[in-house]
Amino acid sequence: MALLSLRGIGMRYGAVQALTGIDLDVTEGEVLALCGDNGAGKSSLVKILSGAQAPSEGSMALDGDATRFRGPQDALRRGVATIYQDLAVAPRLSIWQNVFLGSELTRPPFGLLDKRRMAEASRGYLARLAVDIAEMDTPVERLSGGQRQAVAICRALRWDARIIIMDEPTAALGVKETAQVLDLIRRLHAEGRTVILVSHAMGDVVAVAQRVVVLKGGRKVADRPVATPDGALRAEELAQLIIRGAA
Amino acid sequence: MTGFLTRYGAALAGVALFCGFALASPVFLTAGNMAVVFKETAFLGILAVGFTLALVTAEIDLSVAEVASLAAVVTGALVHGGQAPWIAICAGMAVGIACGAANGLAVTVLKVPSLIATLGTAAIAKGLGFMLTQGVAFVGRWPTSFTGLARGNTAGLPNLVWWLGGVGLAAWVLVKWTRTGAHLVATGEADEAARLAGIRTLSMKRLALTLAGACAGLTAVLLASSLSSAAPGMANDHFLYAIAAVLLGMSMFEPGRPNIPGTLFAALTLKVLGNGLVLLGAEYYWQDIVLGTIILASVALSAAGTGRAPFVKKLNFRTGK
Repeated sequence: MALLSLRGIGMRYGAVQALTGIDLDVTEGEVLALCGDNGAGKSSLVKILSGAQAPSEGSMALDGDATRFRGPQDALRRGVATIYQDLAVAPRLSIWQNVFLGSELTRPPFGLLDKRRMAEASRGYLARLAVDIAEMDTPVERLSGGQRQAVAICRALRWDARIIIMDEPTAALGVKETAQVLDLIRRLHAEGRTVILVSHAMGDVVAVAQRVVVLKGGRKVADRPVATPDGALRAEELAQLIIRGAA
Repeated sequence: MTGFLTRYGAALAGVALFCGFALASPVFLTAGNMAVVFKETAFLGILAVGFTLALVTAEIDLSVAEVASLAAVVTGALVHGGQAPWIAICAGMAVGIACGAANGLAVTVLKVPSLIATLGTAAIAKGLGFMLTQGVAFVGRWPTSFTGLARGNTAGLPNLVWWLGGVGLAAWVLVKWTRTGAHLVATGEADEAARLAGIRTLSMKRLALTLAGACAGLTAVLLASSLSSAAPGMANDHFLYAIAAVLLGMSMFEPGRPNIPGTLFAALTLKVLGNGLVLLGAEYYWQDIVLGTIILASVALSAAGTGRAPFVKKLNFRTGK
């Protein structure tokens, strides 16, 4: 059974039909890449998956139960965390403040913040991602791009998210940092978490995803595994899918 | 070492200033003069703490001084008219809180940038103050149950110092040690990221502006109590000082960020400076010139320390969605 499934999802903004009839089944534990050119409908679909927006039509089911997210926080509580490209972290806040943003831990008797426990827990999450940062009080703006993504992922881990949606996580990164982020995704996969990777970077997609869904003009034009009997999907083939809607 | 200077450089300059005046003027360190400095710091400090709380959520409250003046004349009018002091005190606080809440609604519901909204509130408060008093001051022998709030000592310290300490401590605990405080800070630092993380950023902005109003109300009650009088515009001298205290405070302890200890220490430094200048025989206008220089220098200092001008982001015309 699919962990998350969409049926006939459509999204309309005034006169603009951004998505039409999207059917999508997300299988537990897979890394699913969501590709498409600018304006193909990726952002709209991410907003629906993350709970930021309700679809104009169609239905969603989580674990087979029909569902409707009332907002990003609702989605998060039900195990769907989204890491937005530019809004993933608050740059001047520390690592632990970012990991526990909006869900801070307190301790009795006065209900004051339990900074030590939050710092310890953050260290633990980072260790699970094999990211080595010594000081949890470091403002996130002083970290590398890859480390920042790791901090954003830690927030998803803090919620024990089953599905982690990453919106263009490597778009602003250099080669080495991109490799670090792909490593993070592999670790999440190894932990059995489901990752939906929204990306332009064809090389990244074929490197970590098991399945690719391609959108074009608001419709799903391809949905195929990366590994096929004839060998792996090549980046050039994927580019053709994105540009022309067919290989 | 650079980090240390960035954090504590401005505070050390304040301490040096204090020592300089102590050496230069025989009057400066006397108990009487110190009491004057600390009392003046109390009015300024409480007002500036309110301004700091608003700025923590990246909103600017330019109305604090005019709101305090209005709250003071409302309080004064009631005491002067023979009402029970507690009614007058509650009324003064209510005026401050209501103005702060109005600012919050203007910013979050009407989407007026705080820089403009609070300027409007300030003008309205000023007008109302003159309307209520017809420009005349209330002066009189007010009951000691009212004047005793701000006058006199408790446990060896002036009551005003206790008020300042209490407000400062409460605000510091709120910002640094509570979930609400963490949400206030997150709202100011990255409101979109905070909103996506489930923080009710608009409520946080309303709360911060309302607290700024409450601080203005308390300042007003204490001013009226201390002076046994109330007049329109009576808190206005504290306006530039409050802004200067917050900005200078942002160059201390947590460079580039509005922070309560910085605000309190800066308020004291500014009052020490003003007092010292007077004692050394400087003409009164020097205070304004020095104050303006400090405002400019402290923002430049924060910018140099953190690699960007912190205020630029705060001042752009963008409110939360």
